[in-house]
Amino acid sequence: MAFHHKILGIVTLLYLCLFFIHLIFFAFKKEKIVAIMWPLLYGTLGLHTVGLILRWLESYRHGMGHAPLSNFYESLVFYAWCVSLIVVFMKKRLNYPAITICATVISLFLMGYASISPSVDRNIQPLVPALQSNWLHIHVLTCFLAYASFAVSFISGFLYMFTWKNVIPPRDILDEINYRSVVVGFPMLSAGIFTGAVWAHYAWGSYWSWDPKETWSLITWIVYAVFLHARLMRGWKGKKIAILSIVGFASVIFTYFGVNFILSGLHSYAT
Amino acid sequence: MNAIKNKAAEQVTPPGKSLFQSLQGFIASIKFSIILLTCIALGSIIGTIIKQGVGPDEYLSLYSEHTYQIINLLGLNDVYHSPWFIALLFLFAINLTLCTVRRFMPAFKGSKKASVPEESAMMDMSMSFRASTSIDDAHLFSILKGYRISYSGEEGKVFQKGALSKYGVLLIHTSIMLILIGGFVGLVAGFKGFMVLHKGDIKNTITIGGEKPYEKPLGFSIKCKEFQVSFYPNGAPKDYVSTVEVIENGKIIFEKQIRVNEPLSYKGIHIYQASYGSAPSFTFTIGGERVSLREKEAYRNDNISLMPIRFEQDIHNFGPGIMVAYLEQGEPRTVWFVKNIERFNEKIIQGVPVRFVDIQENIYTGLSVSRDPGIWIVWAGFAFILFGLYINFFQYYRRIYIRNIAGGYLVAGIAIKNKEAFKKEFEMLREKLNGIPS
Repeated sequence: MAFHHKILGIVTLLYLCLFFIHLIFFAFKKEKIVAIMWPLLYGTLGLHTVGLILRWLESYRHGMGHAPLSNFYESLVFYAWCVSLIVVFMKKRLNYPAITICATVISLFLMGYASISPSVDRNIQPLVPALQSNWLHIHVLTCFLAYASFAVSFISGFLYMFTWKNVIPPRDILDEINYRSVVVGFPMLSAGIFTGAVWAHYAWGSYWSWDPKETWSLITWIVYAVFLHARLMRGWKGKKIAILSIVGFASVIFTYFGVNFILSGLHSYAT
Repeated sequence: MNAIKNKAAEQVTPPGKSLFQSLQGFIASIKFSIILLTCIALGSIIGTIIKQGVGPDEYLSLYSEHTYQIINLLGLNDVYHSPWFIALLFLFAINLTLCTVRRFMPAFKGSKKASVPEESAMMDMSMSFRASTSIDDAHLFSILKGYRISYSGEEGKVFQKGALSKYGVLLIHTSIMLILIGGFVGLVAGFKGFMVLHKGDIKNTITIGGEKPYEKPLGFSIKCKEFQVSFYPNGAPKDYVSTVEVIENGKIIFEKQIRVNEPLSYKGIHIYQASYGSAPSFTFTIGGERVSLREKEAYRNDNISLMPIRFEQDIHNFGPGIMVAYLEQGEPRTVWFVKNIERFNEKIIQGVPVRFVDIQENIYTGLSVSRDPGIWIVWAGFAFILFGLYINFFQYYRRIYIRNIAGGYLVAGIAIKNKEAFKKEFEMLREKLNGIPS
């Protein structure tokens, strides 16, 4: 087994550890446990980064030399990395165990699915001609940072539906987190769509061809544009906004997974 | 800001409006925007569920005849170019323009000069303090980094920062209009076609697809000098390269290798590596002359005219064969040639011995050709939108008022968005100026 696979395996176990530490915290409510959570998340994110870099270097040994952003396995691992990165980036706002446990579960699910599912090819594959472009890096990075921010928005929208004193953060805080993460995600998604359009112009000869992935990214963009207008122009808050963030994330999931499995199109690299 | 909002809200439902006026109000309302965006999103979803732009046979294999009629009637086989979808985008463009104008007109008309509020008003502001030391301008400027002075008078000064962020929404909306206009320009003034070239072919037209495909002259010619495909050890394609020459008025203008991600551009026309394929060509000896023909490619000389018309990989287990059409006393006839069977690979046609010698696989390159004069408008829209999003969400407008009062001065601050961050900034300012909370 390649070294990067081992490292990413350890990373998956660390996410599992993080998950259990959260559970222990909820069981015993000892503040000391919270104190080790963040350093452990930093360590996990660091090792996750190392794993991605090693996989990148490994691809050079195979004579292919490309960033680990080219197939479904790599996108799952990268998505998990982006979720952790956004959580660390928004640490001040997200410093609530109820939120970090949800983020951990998402990362753990993505890593676990990537490493266990028999339908996912874990080998480093060569880049098909259409993907041989520098636009690959910026396009995938912006899209997945957007998806990760929307995951945080979803978490706060989801938690908003429940009340559990001293565990789930107060509602106005969840509401603010929801809005803030969309404020990060929306420009990122816009940048992702635009870099994709410019790339498509050079690779496919048309900046917009209504490919299912393109169309669904536009639909997602529309949902979050409605979210922002509802909030800023109509003053929507609370439950309505929470529902919109859940609808938005459903659209994100369909853009990412659904399009690959159900619809076919130009973006069919990831299956 | 609040004043603007209230004004806009008043316009929506003043009493006793005519039907026309209320319709006008509705078209310019955010409610209408939401309805339109929802319809656009739903239309787009339909377009991803129903297969787009394929022939009737494929639809009939998926749906009943009745359903197919509905699909055809509503243009669901090409949603994104159907009249109703274009109409939705058009209405959205109008709505967006009106919404934006309505929101920003008051701001442009009533851009009052900044002034220092009265002492009592400043004291009432949630963020204010007084300081008793004297203050000189140089010191003030060094503390208020990034602030600009927007008013200066005897009674005091007004500083502001992030004024650009007020125009974020305007910039974003204008950019969306730019993208729509760019797309429209491309739709009207651009084209997209296809060109298939075998090695050695020269073509000066492209095929424009659609219900009735037609050939369109390019204005110059493309010659395919070479086409190569390379593969990775696992069989996946690695590189497609067409080496082509651009020829205009009989002169070679330049030579270029077209790859995926590396199109050729000439006179606003872009030529992309889109696909490749292979087509067999058939070698005959016709009266001793060696001739290589592709399917449906005619051969003529004084004595004989013929054309290979149908190729079969395997004819009754006898191996590959080709059906050839020829004329005998003006009557069209066909005959099969089978390559590996001695008796069937030679025929006398019109007294000329014709022998089927060989089959060669020729790969050809598929080039997609397009012209889109709207592209730079779209690119500009993308750039402006990102800048607009940045100033709208990551910059914020705030003002600091300084009023001279007896025995010192009074400082107050105001921000409409991002109050939390501004509060911290204001606290730091107070500490630096040794202010006393008022």
